[in-house]
Amino acid sequence: MTISWLYIGIFLVVSLGLPAVAIILAGILAPKKPSPEKSIIYECGVDTHGETWVQFKAQYYLIGLVFLIFDIETVFLYPWAVAFDRLGLFAVLEGLLFIGILTGGLVYAWKKGAFEWA
Amino acid sequence: MSLSDLLILLPQAFLLVWASLLLLVDLFISKERKVITAILGAAGLAITLGLTSGQWGSRATGFNQMVVVDNFSVFLSGLFTLAGLVAIVIAYDNMRRTGIHKTEFYSLLLFSVAGMMLMSAAADLIIVFLALELLSIPLYILAGLAVPRAGSAEGAIKYFLLGAFASGFVLYGTALIFGATQGTSLAGIMASIQSGTAELPLLVIGAALLLVGFSFKVAAVPFHMWTPDVYQGAPSPVTGFMSIGAKAAGFAALIRVFSLAFPSLAGQFAPIFAVLAGLTMVVGNVAAVSQVSIKRMLAYSSIAHAGYILMALVPLADPSVAANSTASALTYLVVYGITTLGAWAVISAVENADGGDTSVRDLSGLARQHPWLAAAMTFFMLSFTGIPPLAGFWGKFYLFRTAIEGGYTTLAIIGLLSSLVSAWYYLRVIVMMYFRESEAGASRAPSIQIAAILLALAVLVLGLFPSGLFQLALQALANGVS
Amino acid sequence: MILDQVIFLITAVVVLTAAILVVSVPKMIHAALWLILALAGIAVLFVLLQAPFFAVVQVIVYIGAIAVLVIFAVMLTRKAMQDDGPQLNRYSVLAAAVSLMLFAVLTGMLLSWDGANNLPVNPAVNPDTIVNLGESLTNPQGFLLPFEVASILLLAALVGAIYIGREHRAGKEEE
Repeated sequence: MTISWLYIGIFLVVSLGLPAVAIILAGILAPKKPSPEKSIIYECGVDTHGETWVQFKAQYYLIGLVFLIFDIETVFLYPWAVAFDRLGLFAVLEGLLFIGILTGGLVYAWKKGAFEWA
Repeated sequence: MSLSDLLILLPQAFLLVWASLLLLVDLFISKERKVITAILGAAGLAITLGLTSGQWGSRATGFNQMVVVDNFSVFLSGLFTLAGLVAIVIAYDNMRRTGIHKTEFYSLLLFSVAGMMLMSAAADLIIVFLALELLSIPLYILAGLAVPRAGSAEGAIKYFLLGAFASGFVLYGTALIFGATQGTSLAGIMASIQSGTAELPLLVIGAALLLVGFSFKVAAVPFHMWTPDVYQGAPSPVTGFMSIGAKAAGFAALIRVFSLAFPSLAGQFAPIFAVLAGLTMVVGNVAAVSQVSIKRMLAYSSIAHAGYILMALVPLADPSVAANSTASALTYLVVYGITTLGAWAVISAVENADGGDTSVRDLSGLARQHPWLAAAMTFFMLSFTGIPPLAGFWGKFYLFRTAIEGGYTTLAIIGLLSSLVSAWYYLRVIVMMYFRESEAGASRAPSIQIAAILLALAVLVLGLFPSGLFQLALQALANGVS
Repeated sequence: MILDQVIFLITAVVVLTAAILVVSVPKMIHAALWLILALAGIAVLFVLLQAPFFAVVQVIVYIGAIAVLVIFAVMLTRKAMQDDGPQLNRYSVLAAAVSLMLFAVLTGMLLSWDGANNLPVNPAVNPDTIVNLGESLTNPQGFLLPFEVASILLLAALVGAIYIGREHRAGKEEE
């Protein structure tokens, strides 16, 4: 049981380690000749103005909330899907009812223009 | 899937399906014909009322003892559906007048009613929690129905944050109780306590956390802070529905959980309930006196009334009084529900078209312009005070009587004195309506007037023939909660 | 067993450090990022506790959605990258005292529980917890009712989120 999770752990360590090693190695090996020209933000064409940390549109948050709801739907459907082989017809229908109810929510969101980028 | 399980929950299931469909159907109804949505919503509630009253007299558990349908749940379900119906009648006119006719109102209201009905039938802490959320989440949104308006937004966010906090308490309590008794079903918890396998300290802490969570819902002192702001900010019809719906559902949970799962803890919790009840009555009534806004005044009044009802939960340990006192709590819930819905109907009619705050002064001279509304409001205020022969008097009479029978005379005296204080601010409203000259405008929509008058009549009739309701409440406890 | 303990100790250190940083770094966006690390550590703890479902939920919901929402919320504010003044207010000592008291009470409660003192050695591990959960979620004698009610609950929450969010955006152009 724990062994199978260990693979994920190893992947995690490797995936974190590779970029870290690359960045650190580059920092050690690269020749350092700083100049003010080099510290300018890289941009094609005109220089940038003002802050790069701009305020997001509230629209992002609405999308985020809708995402959260369907994410939680996934949590319920995940064990249902894992047990799918062993479930009878009714159990499958019950899961479909669950999805159906939330599809109603999707229709509502769509009709109300929650996904329009206006 | 056994069909009998579904049949037991037919009213709730029907209402949920109807509400979901209404949500979708409404998307395809053109803007001029939104009255159809209102009618469909009311029809759904009416059918549910019929379905649920057909279950009177039977007792059945379903879904592996997660829900139990008995007279108790039918009694309260009837109250919830009727409150929802009245709310729709009041809201249709008020929302159109104040420019917030948002048709989500109807499906959200139906969801909330379904949650309350589920709460009254809950026999498992998981269902209690889910029902609590199902009734609360639509209410948070309904409180914010007028959302560009600052008061509504403030009320909604306060209600949401504190409500979420309260749900956290309930959930934590449930978890601790599960840890202590290895079960979440109320019957299982009781069995575990009786067989002595339960971990007592854990169980008591869990029960206390549940009590805190439910106290938020019924707005008992010291968990009442949200009430005035929410009642003031939310649209009036929503407040009217909330003031009875959320409160009755909270009490349904308290009665079910504390009389079914923890009867052996009743003795230990009696002093806590007594302190809660005393504080709630005194603080609610005293704070209401100085209110300028009639909405805030009624908010504090609703706190005070929660205190009166809490009094009925004190003597649960005494089996000879328990049935009578629970029945008097149910009676009071009905009486309070009718009265508060009526009062909020009148406020909904009087409210300015901008939907802003309404002060007690705004009612001055109402008797000349709108004699029927003023007469109805007089009935409601007198019933709130507890003046015979109106329903409110008998509600208080039963509550005080059982408190004295249970040996809590001090509590009854506190209740009596605080109701005397309450006369001051209730009568002020009547004085304003009848003895002050001013132009109090109000909606002339017949629906709202008829609703107010019918509710006033109900207050009078229940006051003239009080024993019928009390007997019904006793029967409601006969085949389930004892 | 030793391997488990080593992993647990490392994870515990990481989670505690990250949690302290969440409440102590001055920039909100950094706090949000440390929060993700703390949540990931909790997921590892769930794995160690043989609760794979909760580990998955932790990753999907908390890291996948809640953390994203927190970052969105931070980005919605005007001062995402500015220091927000002192991290402590005058009630900090009181708050620390209350927190310590709560910690002591909870620990005391746990220690008084029999299970805390005689832990089962090599408990039987059920490899099919997620399958069992899936079956009981659709079993009328199990948790079918909560399962479907949860779906309705999510629907109501969705309607609410869209209602409040849309209203906030439109304000004027609304009918």
